[in-house]
Formats: sequence, C-alpha cells, structure tokens
Amino acid sequence: MNRKLLFLTPLAIFLLLSIFLFKGLFSDPRVLQSGRIGQTMPEFALPDLMQPDKQWRNTDLLGDVYLLNVWGTWCPTCVAELGYLTELRKQGIKIVGLYFEQGYDADFGDQFSLPDLQIEVSEMLARAGNPYAFNMLDLNRTVLLDLGVSGAPETFLVDSKGTILLHHTGDINSRVWRAKFAPVIAELSP
Amino acid sequence: MKYSFVLISLLVTSFVYASEDQYQFATAEQKNIFAELTHELRCPKCQNQNIADSDAIVAKDLRDKVLTLVEEGKGKDEIIEFMIDRYGYFVHYKPPVTASTLVLWVLPVLFVLFGFGAVIARQKKASQAQQWSEQDESTLNELINKYQRKGEQS
Repeated sequence: MNRKLLFLTPLAIFLLLSIFLFKGLFSDPRVLQSGRIGQTMPEFALPDLMQPDKQWRNTDLLGDVYLLNVWGTWCPTCVAELGYLTELRKQGIKIVGLYFEQGYDADFGDQFSLPDLQIEVSEMLARAGNPYAFNMLDLNRTVLLDLGVSGAPETFLVDSKGTILLHHTGDINSRVWRAKFAPVIAELSP
Repeated sequence: MKYSFVLISLLVTSFVYASEDQYQFATAEQKNIFAELTHELRCPKCQNQNIADSDAIVAKDLRDKVLTLVEEGKGKDEIIEFMIDRYGYFVHYKPPVTASTLVLWVLPVLFVLFGFGAVIARQKKASQAQQWSEQDESTLNELINKYQRKGEQS
C-alpha cells in the first residue's frame, strides 16, 4: 500500500505538471486579462475631437449599448479595422471613438496641432470609412490609463447602464466579432 | 596631461548620466518605493519588460502615474492595487494565488515534501536492517574464537 503510494505520487505530480504545461503551449500570451470588465465606466469629461468646445461626460453615454473604440491615425491596425467597424455601424451598432494621441507628449513627438490633427482625421475617415458617432480626444491619456488601455486599437463593449462587458485588445474583424462580441450583444437584447 | 583629459571626460559623462535621473522626490522612502514599483510592475504592451525598462508609451504613462501616486503619499500596496484594478494581474510580476496559478505555488512544496518523505523512508528502512539479535552476537563470537585459534596455531 505504502509502496504503491510512493510510486503513484510522482506519477500524479508529473501528470499534473504535464497538463499544466501542455495547456500553456496553446495559450496566447497577447490575450491579457483586463481589470475593468464588470465595472462601470470611469468618470471622465473629454472634449470632442472635432468641436473642442463640446465636452463629453461618461453620463452622456448612459442609455445606449455602445462600442468604445480606442484608435489613432498613427496606428495602421486601427486604420485597417475602420472598414469593418463601418459595416457594423450600418448594422446599427453605436461606436464611439476615443482618440489616442501620442504626438502631444514631448517624449514621443512635439509637433502637436489640433487643426492639423482634425484635418488628418477627417481625411482618413473619408477614405477608410467613418464608423464613429463622435470622437473624444484624450490628450493626456488619463482616461486611457483609467480604462487599462495599453495601446491601440482596443475596444470596449459597454451596456446601457455603463458597465464594461468586454475589453478586446487588437483589431475587430468578422471572426473576432462573431466569436467574442455577437454572443454578448445577443444576450443583451431581449 | 593626456590622462587628465580622459579623467575629466569620464567625470563629465558620469555627471551627464546623473542628470538623466529626472525624477525628484521629497523623501528617500518615496524614491525607494518608486524604484521598487517601476521594477515590479510589468509593461502591458511590451511583454517581459518592466515599466522602468520599457520605452513604450504606456510604460511612460504608468511611470508618470506611479510618480504622481507616490508623491500623493500612497503606499506600495495601494499603488499595485490601483494598477491591477486597471490592467489586471498581468501588470504585477508576482502572481496571486488563484485557481489557475495554484499549481505554480503548490508544486514546489509538493516536490520538497515528497523528497523529504523519501529520504526519511529510506533511512528508516536502513536502520531496521541493522538490528542486532542475540543469535548474530553468538555467531560473531564463534567466528572470532575460530580465527583466533587459527592465528595461535600458525
């Protein structure tokens, strides 16, 4: 009995370790756990990218299910997903842009001019498709930090009460939409 | 003369490096907390770099945020909590004990316990084999007597 146990314990440990490591082989290290899922949208007041006099608050967004899409014209993947996002808008999905500005930071570029940025953004949206109901500008990236954004593009799915349901890192395409977003949205609508 | 030039340039370069240390702190403790945290917090964008090493834009933002929080007098645990709240457990290099990481925490302990148990079991076995009975004693005496007599004869 004791001998059997002595023989089986290392085997059990070995099997446990094998399963653990085997699973690790197929895990994607780029899929990060997000800290914000299930929490409410952090409070913010951000200017509109196109009309800086207008302020958007988190409370303005309550009542609608929407996608909050973090993007920037400097980010090639963001531009690539504009086409698919525009398709989604045509299907009736509300998409709000959160503009990720890096040129404002002296460490990454010091030639920031809002009028130039506005021209650049409108040109790009005219060319690649405009999925956005409106865009908010987070110059200091404080809201981005509060949301746990590490880069662009990233997209949040927020429900009508302002709860964050999903946080997706990377672009949205038909595969990601079907696998990740569509089931959650289907559950929301009665 | 030549050497003094080398010496001076060395001094100057070290001075330049020192001035790159751009952060100023009110107390030495704050400075320590900042140094520890920027080495313990992981950059969410560039994996396997801490935010002190990384040049990513988010690493810089996190450094700045840590600096602000340290200057506000927040403790180390509070700041780590703040970051985990936003970036998930990934952002801290020390994994917490959860169902998925349990195996990492338990396995080393299991290995040690098992090894220790095996050593003890072996020792017990060995000591059992060395038991000395009266019969063994008499056999030994017989053998000693036998060979002693042999020695006397020769």
